[in-house]
Amino acid sequence: MSTKNQGLHDVNLYSDNKLMEDVKEGKVEKMAVLFEKHHVSLFNFFMRLTGNRNISEDLVQDVFMRMLKYRSTYQGRSKFTLWMYQIARNAHIDFLRKKKNTLPLDEQWSEPITSEASPAEKLEGGQEVQLMRQALAQLPLKKREVLILSRYQNLKYKEIAELMDCHIGTVKAHVHRAIKELGKIYFELQGGTVS
Amino acid sequence: MRCEDIKKIFPDYLVGDLDQSSAEDIQSHIADCPACRQELEDLSAVWTKLGVLPEEHPSNGLREQFYRELEEYKAEMNREKPLHHLKQFFSSLFYLSRSGRPAYQFALGSIPLFIGLSLGYLLFSGRQNADLHREVQDMRQMLAVSLLDQRSTTERLRGVNLSYGLENPDNKMIQALLATLNNDPNINVRLAAVDALYLFYDSPSVREGIILSLSQQNSPFLQVALVDLLVSVQERQALESFKKLIEANQLDPKLKQKLEQGIKELSY
Repeated sequence: MSTKNQGLHDVNLYSDNKLMEDVKEGKVEKMAVLFEKHHVSLFNFFMRLTGNRNISEDLVQDVFMRMLKYRSTYQGRSKFTLWMYQIARNAHIDFLRKKKNTLPLDEQWSEPITSEASPAEKLEGGQEVQLMRQALAQLPLKKREVLILSRYQNLKYKEIAELMDCHIGTVKAHVHRAIKELGKIYFELQGGTVS
Repeated sequence: MRCEDIKKIFPDYLVGDLDQSSAEDIQSHIADCPACRQELEDLSAVWTKLGVLPEEHPSNGLREQFYRELEEYKAEMNREKPLHHLKQFFSSLFYLSRSGRPAYQFALGSIPLFIGLSLGYLLFSGRQNADLHREVQDMRQMLAVSLLDQRSTTERLRGVNLSYGLENPDNKMIQALLATLNNDPNINVRLAAVDALYLFYDSPSVREGIILSLSQQNSPFLQVALVDLLVSVQERQALESFKKLIEANQLDPKLKQKLEQGIKELSY
C-alpha cells in the first residue's frame, strides 16, 4: 500500500486544537477532519447514555453543528475533546428537557436499539450485553455520565472535574458510588454473582 | 491508612493511575483488611464487566447528513456576507436621507450602481459556494485516502465508505482503492472497494485496474464479485481474462459458472 503512505500523515497533520482554531477562523471545512476523528467515539458516548441509535445519531449531528455555530467561543487553552464533551453534555441536557414530558429517562433504554442484536453483540454474548445495558440504564444520570466518561471515553478524573465544574474528589466519589450501585443493580438483574 | 482514606484512591486504582507509594498503600491495607479487599475486588469485577459493551457504529446516513449540513453552513456563511454589506449600505442611505445633506442626492444616484455591484457580488458568492463544494470534496477525498491506510479494519472500511460520496475522485483516490482491492488483508474491505470502484467505472484506470485484479485475487468470493461487476458494465475487454481464468486448475465451481455465464453474455 505504498501509494497511500502519504495519506497516513495527512490525517495526523494537525492537532485537534489547531484544526478547531482553523474552523474558528472561517476554514469550516476543517470540521470534516474533526468529524472523522471523533464522531464514532461521540456516538458511543450517546449510545451508552441514551441507549437509542437514532437519538444518538441526531445528538452527534447536533454537537457538530453546535461546534460550528459557537466556533467563535472556542478557547484553545483546554483540550478540544473537553470542549466537545461540554457541548455534547449540553446537547443531551437540551434533549432531555424536550423529552421530559414524553418519555421517562429509564424508558429510553428499554426502547429497542435495533430490531436485532448487532453482529458484535452476537459475538460477545448478547445476554451479558443486554444485562449491562439495563443495569447502566437504571443508574442515575450523573453517575452514569461520570462512569461513561471515565470508563469508555478515557477522560481523566481531572478532566471530568473540569468538564463538570467540580472538585476532582467529587468525581472520584461519584465513580466509586456509581460502580457500587451498578454492581448491585447488575447482581439483582442477573440473579447471581457479579463476577 | 484508614479505610476511608484507602477507599478514596480505589477509583485511581481502577483506571491504573496510581503512583508507586499509593499502590503499595493499597496492597498493604487490603492484606490486613478483608472488608476493603472484598470491596476492591467487587469494584474491579464491575469495572471489568463494563467492557462487555461493544463499540457501536453509526449508520452511513450520519456522515452523509454531516457533510450536507457542513456545505449548507458554509454556503450560508457566504450568503450572509453580501447581505451584510447591503444592510450597511441601506442603513447609511437612510441616515443620509434623514440628515438632508447634499450627499443624499449622490446616494440616490448610486443605487443602480450598487445594485449592479451587489449582483456581481452574489454571482461571485455563487462561485465561492462551488469552491466550497470542491473544498469539502477534496477534504473528504483526503480523509478517505488516509483512512484506507489505517491499521484498523473499521477505519479502512470507513475510508471506503467515505469514497462513495465523491463526485470526481482523482488518481490518488483511485489508486488507493485499487491497492485496497488487491492488498487489503480483510475480505470485507476488499469487497467494499469493489462497490466503490463500480461507482467510478467511467475512469479508464479503474477499468484496467479491475481487469488486472481479477487474475491477481486469490479469493473466489471476490473474483465472483469482480466478474459480476465486469459483466454488469458489459466490459468486453475482460473477455480475454475470463477465458484465461476459466482454464485454471481447481477452479471454484461457482466462479467457473459465473465465468461461463460472463463469457456468454460478453460474447454477444
